[in-house]
Amino acid sequence: MHAGAMDDYAAVIAILNHTWFGSELAPETQERLARLGTLQDFEADEVILQEGEDATDMGILLSGRLALRTHVPGRGPVTILSIEPGDIFGWSAVLDSTKTQSTVVATQSSQALVIDGTKLRAALKEDHALAASLYPRVLQAVGRRLRATRLQLLDLFAR
Amino acid sequence: MATSGRTARPRVAVAKFASCDGCQLTILDLEEELLEIVTRFDIVEFPEATSRRSPGPYDIVFVEGSISAREHLDAIKELRKQARTLVTIGACATAGGIQAMRNWADHDAFRASVYEHPEWIESLATSTPISDHVKVDAELRGCPIDPGQLKELLTAVLVGRRPQIRDEAVCRECKRKGLVCMVVATGEACMGPVTTSGCDALCPTYGRGCFGCFGPRANANAKSWSTSLMKSGRPPDEVWRLFAGFTGYAEPFRSTITELGKVKS
Amino acid sequence: MITSPAPGQTAAARQWFLARTDLASLVDGIRATGRRLIGPTVREGAIVYDDIHSAADLPAGWRDEQSAGRYRLERRTDDRVFGYTVGPTSWKRFTFPANLPIATAHRTATFGFDQPVPEVTPMAFLGVRACELAALNVQDRVFLGGQFTDEDFRARRAAAFIVSVQCTTSSSTCFCTSMGTGPEVHGGYDILLTEIDEGFVVQAGSPEGAAIVAKLPTRKPTHAEAGAAVDNVEAVRTRIGEPMPIPGIDARLKLQLDNPRWGQIAERCVECGNCTMVCPTCFCTSVIEKSDMDGKVATTERQWDSCFDVAFAKIAGGDFRARPRDRYRQWLTHKFSTWMDQFGSMGCVGCGRCVAWCPVGIDVREELMIIAPPIAPVVRPVAVEPVAASPGNFSVARLASVRSETEDTTTLTLTDLDPAFLQGRPGQFVMVALPAFPAVPISISRFRSNGIDLTIRAVGPTSTALVNLHPGVKVGIRGPLGTFWPIEDAYGRHAVVVAGGVGLSPLHGLVDALVANRDRFESISLFYGTRTPEDQLFRDDLAAWSVSKAIDVAVTVDRAGPEWKGRVGVVTTLFDKMSWDCSKVTAFVVGPERMMQASVQGLLSKGVPSDRILISMERHMECGIGLCGHCQMAGRFVCKDGPVFRLHELGDMFNREGI
Repeated sequence: MHAGAMDDYAAVIAILNHTWFGSELAPETQERLARLGTLQDFEADEVILQEGEDATDMGILLSGRLALRTHVPGRGPVTILSIEPGDIFGWSAVLDSTKTQSTVVATQSSQALVIDGTKLRAALKEDHALAASLYPRVLQAVGRRLRATRLQLLDLFAR
Repeated sequence: MATSGRTARPRVAVAKFASCDGCQLTILDLEEELLEIVTRFDIVEFPEATSRRSPGPYDIVFVEGSISAREHLDAIKELRKQARTLVTIGACATAGGIQAMRNWADHDAFRASVYEHPEWIESLATSTPISDHVKVDAELRGCPIDPGQLKELLTAVLVGRRPQIRDEAVCRECKRKGLVCMVVATGEACMGPVTTSGCDALCPTYGRGCFGCFGPRANANAKSWSTSLMKSGRPPDEVWRLFAGFTGYAEPFRSTITELGKVKS
Repeated sequence: MITSPAPGQTAAARQWFLARTDLASLVDGIRATGRRLIGPTVREGAIVYDDIHSAADLPAGWRDEQSAGRYRLERRTDDRVFGYTVGPTSWKRFTFPANLPIATAHRTATFGFDQPVPEVTPMAFLGVRACELAALNVQDRVFLGGQFTDEDFRARRAAAFIVSVQCTTSSSTCFCTSMGTGPEVHGGYDILLTEIDEGFVVQAGSPEGAAIVAKLPTRKPTHAEAGAAVDNVEAVRTRIGEPMPIPGIDARLKLQLDNPRWGQIAERCVECGNCTMVCPTCFCTSVIEKSDMDGKVATTERQWDSCFDVAFAKIAGGDFRARPRDRYRQWLTHKFSTWMDQFGSMGCVGCGRCVAWCPVGIDVREELMIIAPPIAPVVRPVAVEPVAASPGNFSVARLASVRSETEDTTTLTLTDLDPAFLQGRPGQFVMVALPAFPAVPISISRFRSNGIDLTIRAVGPTSTALVNLHPGVKVGIRGPLGTFWPIEDAYGRHAVVVAGGVGLSPLHGLVDALVANRDRFESISLFYGTRTPEDQLFRDDLAAWSVSKAIDVAVTVDRAGPEWKGRVGVVTTLFDKMSWDCSKVTAFVVGPERMMQASVQGLLSKGVPSDRILISMERHMECGIGLCGHCQMAGRFVCKDGPVFRLHELGDMFNREGI
């Protein structure tokens, strides 16, 4: 894991503006996230988080692809979802620090804006404008993932 | 309250703010019913009819005119305290009246161009309906109000029922009377489709389009109507003038005017 | 003038000729009976129905020009009296007055309610058209056909002597031919006039009519006159043109209560209610009470009202039709659908008044065809005449090669076949059979220069037998059958191909055709979802397409092992990639039905127009040519009218359980 220099917030905001998650956020929120987070690069096959570890950070994937894998006894690791650029991962960090339910692996070389959960929660508590801007977007991200999961459950390709 | 009790005649007051007094005159125009009215109501305050003054409280206050000057602001609040039922009458009281045109204009420039000593004129920058300032119990629309609706309101008060004042398009009255729709047959501009009824289609009966003095009916689709008027070849400023009449400050005419203001040539 | 016997003995016996200059004798003759004569007259720029005192009141030499929201009176070049169509007045004004006192009540010395006995002056209606006679019949059913009746209407209707006029002219707003009410008058009149160049051909329909006609200065019509009378009316039918597909619209409308068009109409509709006021059959009313100031003596008056009124369906507990779209829907569905349930006929007679007199020009005909278009057999361009079309008659082809696609899916290449198969179009299918095995429908997944590919999943006896064949054997085929992908629907647009699982098979040929015509499209994308990476079909082709610049390929799987580096997630998540103006997308969708529903939902919510979403349906097929009845779906044969459909053709049949 390589922490990138954060001297140029403007560049991060520009990238955020090109992502599904970031483009709808208020400019102040984008700036706040850019300042709170760090740009991190991941190599292909790099394990970012191991199932059962503490999930402390929330991330916005800027490029590449991450896979969420769950270990199923007898079947080994199963990829249940891939995170595409523009989407978020580790969203539960906005609520609390928890143990991660799945292993997060970069399947390609990837870059993400990673925000420390403790700092983020503190910021959300004290800055209501930030909260009003960020929470609905996180809910939308979670909501569409929930809808997709339902379709997945329906097993559309079942015979 | 001094006037309560079944046998007492309701104490009625008529008050006015910025207006031409035409609606008060409509009361006096109820010639046939006037005697019936005064025997059933105790009209204690009526500037157009008598110089007699009588303090409140009143059972019914008819309010004419819009809130247009600084002293109106306190006066209407005081009047409301004195009134068991407050009824606004006419386009000025219910919608701000023709004088609400200034709500879209530069008030100081207006004043300067009209009066020799604009500094003596203490009017507010806006003319607003009574309901913007105090709770209104009932309203009679129109410029001036319709004597039939006034009589219906008074009758309903006496009989103890809800007045049957319908909120339907002027078109409905036109059609019942068998008038030919001039919008369709001659291309005349008419506000009938978006204006509430009550005048018995007075203007169309005399061959001219409705100018909307009864104001918008509930849920009037002013947007579609303004679009339609422009589609039939009228420039935006002409449509603007149609909406910006006696009741232009009432929604949704108001936002249509604002919208048209943006596209006005 | 030489008079010759009029044609047709019985017709001649009942027909007379009245010169136009003698029309006054009819007007005066009717008035002499003491009837109040009501007929057409020019007032306020229109031809209205009002009292006629003499023939001079009639609109001789006038015609009307009508279109949606527009009516203009113009001079005719001749002096025809009935050379107009219908104006803003309908006869309901006289059979069903706009304002009618229906009761008086008093609580003075006594207490009571009194209902006035209808007292009606005898009337005569002059100039009643075929659609208007139909409207009077509709009123009869509404007011007199049930348990409770309107006695005032009964009295007025009985008091009306009817002089009908055949239509010899029409407006753009007329649609009597669609509603089956005109233009010809068939009965229901006392006297019938047909206007021709020099005057009128007159017929009597009742003894009272005959008595009046007997006093007129008539003669027998000539052959030419009698012929002209028939021809003039027939010409109107021709001029009105093709009737709309009205049969069945009552049922079709009932299925369209959620159609988004209702909301679009409501944006235009100003809810003035003029359509209901000018309609000759609309019968909604409200009552208002008028009383003296003490409430001791009161009159109840019935007034024409309209279902467009905000308060019309309101009760203390709320408003049942609170939105404008609800009220418009109520009106239109009542006229064209639920009226049938209530009164056994349509509520519309096709007079076109609601079209002309709508101040914003809403045309019910247009709206009906958008909301409830015909589900009648759709005639589609045929790609090529199929070979061996009748069941049991198969053409023989040779199996050239067999390739396994997935664990259970195999692609067969057939060669040495009838050249017609090579001219089929992507989206079409063939019926494939082996001796002793029932024929099965298989879509053509690829057209080659000398053969076709069929991609088959082994699910039944025939398909299992087919995938186990060895190259060189023969198979029987019929086709190509069914509709094909209208590739030109995507010209100049973003072509988006959405495939799920084996659904890529009928889309493969389409992708080939799109790529071959790359310049005709704004962009081409393929979104392909399968359950696992192992379920993907045509992996070599997918790889080749992925590296080509012609098409953007995105694949996703529902679940995968760690070796899969691609996307994981349902196919609809790929729609995020559509960053364009989605109203410019034409989408082609095939997959399991549930996947298609989810995809269609996703596409619609992105703004892809429903007439630009093409889907291929799968149903049980045995004959493939619309004769066996197996594949029916919402009034269509999937084999013949499909399998490729435009989404909007299916209305809400797509996505509905149990169809």
